[in-house]
Amino acid sequence: MIALPLVAVVAVVAALRATFERNTARKLPYVNVLNFAIAASIVLLRDHPLSLVAAAAYFVGSTLEANAIASTYAGARNQ
Amino acid sequence: MLGELLYILAAAIITWLLFVSVDIFFRLPEKGGVSGASAVARDIQAAGGDIAGGNMMGNIVCSPDASAGTLLAACGVYVAGIPGGLIAAALVFIGNRICHDPGYAGTTGALLATFVVYGFTQVGFTATNFIAGTVIAILSIQGISHVHASRLLARLWRVRQ
Amino acid sequence: MIPALEIMFGFIALVGGVSAALILDYYGKLISLGILVAGVIPFIVDRGYLDVAITVSLIAPIATIFVLRVVRRADA
Repeated sequence: MIALPLVAVVAVVAALRATFERNTARKLPYVNVLNFAIAASIVLLRDHPLSLVAAAAYFVGSTLEANAIASTYAGARNQ
Repeated sequence: MLGELLYILAAAIITWLLFVSVDIFFRLPEKGGVSGASAVARDIQAAGGDIAGGNMMGNIVCSPDASAGTLLAACGVYVAGIPGGLIAAALVFIGNRICHDPGYAGTTGALLATFVVYGFTQVGFTATNFIAGTVIAILSIQGISHVHASRLLARLWRVRQ
Repeated sequence: MIPALEIMFGFIALVGGVSAALILDYYGKLISLGILVAGVIPFIVDRGYLDVAITVSLIAPIATIFVLRVVRRADA
């Protein structure tokens, strides 16, 4: 099954691009890709009903975190 | 292995079309739903991208949208068939409200994707193809070139208007 | 998890951890910590601790939000 390694490679690429991007707001889409990839990995690693809940929890949590970072950044920039 | 790769690529195209059209239908490129989304859009525009495409990309970052719905629906179908997909749609709905997003793009995407993914599993695809496919699709929008992706999304948005 | 996958997710965690130390900008540091957590979660899931994964996935973002409030007060 190639799905999991493929998703892991996408995660690595996204993590690297997020790290090396200079602009904070432009880092966030790369981090978003990483979050998708990790959520997918959770389900692909373990086929269990609770994996779906774990993937959803991880994805919503990481999106909420990105949202918080983006809005704090927006607020600081407008000052 | 190569065969599976082609299935994943096909699934990526299918999910790309699905969530981009749902997001555009729900007017994600119109404006940033929250302040963070507008900040992302502005910085993408500053790098040479289009503000409408940037708005949609910012909205994708800040709240579960149809792409997130598609991913979780595919995960749901993989784990538990159609009921799994519907549970995933419910989780996406809750996630939207937690992120202060009053919209329905995510939930709609998840519901549609549940049936699309299930349908394709009856004709030779597997749900894992769609899980990996959605990741590839979102990589193509958020992870390769923000400038070009935002311009493409803006062109599609103009079609809707 | 096959070793190649362990290396890849471990690498993500490493990139997150090292960049959190080296990046100077506040927001960059927080994003790097998020990358670190992202790399660790698959290991938790692989061992079967799904309930731990759910808990960490919900608590880490809340911790980041608390830190952001401190950052906002520090900037002002």
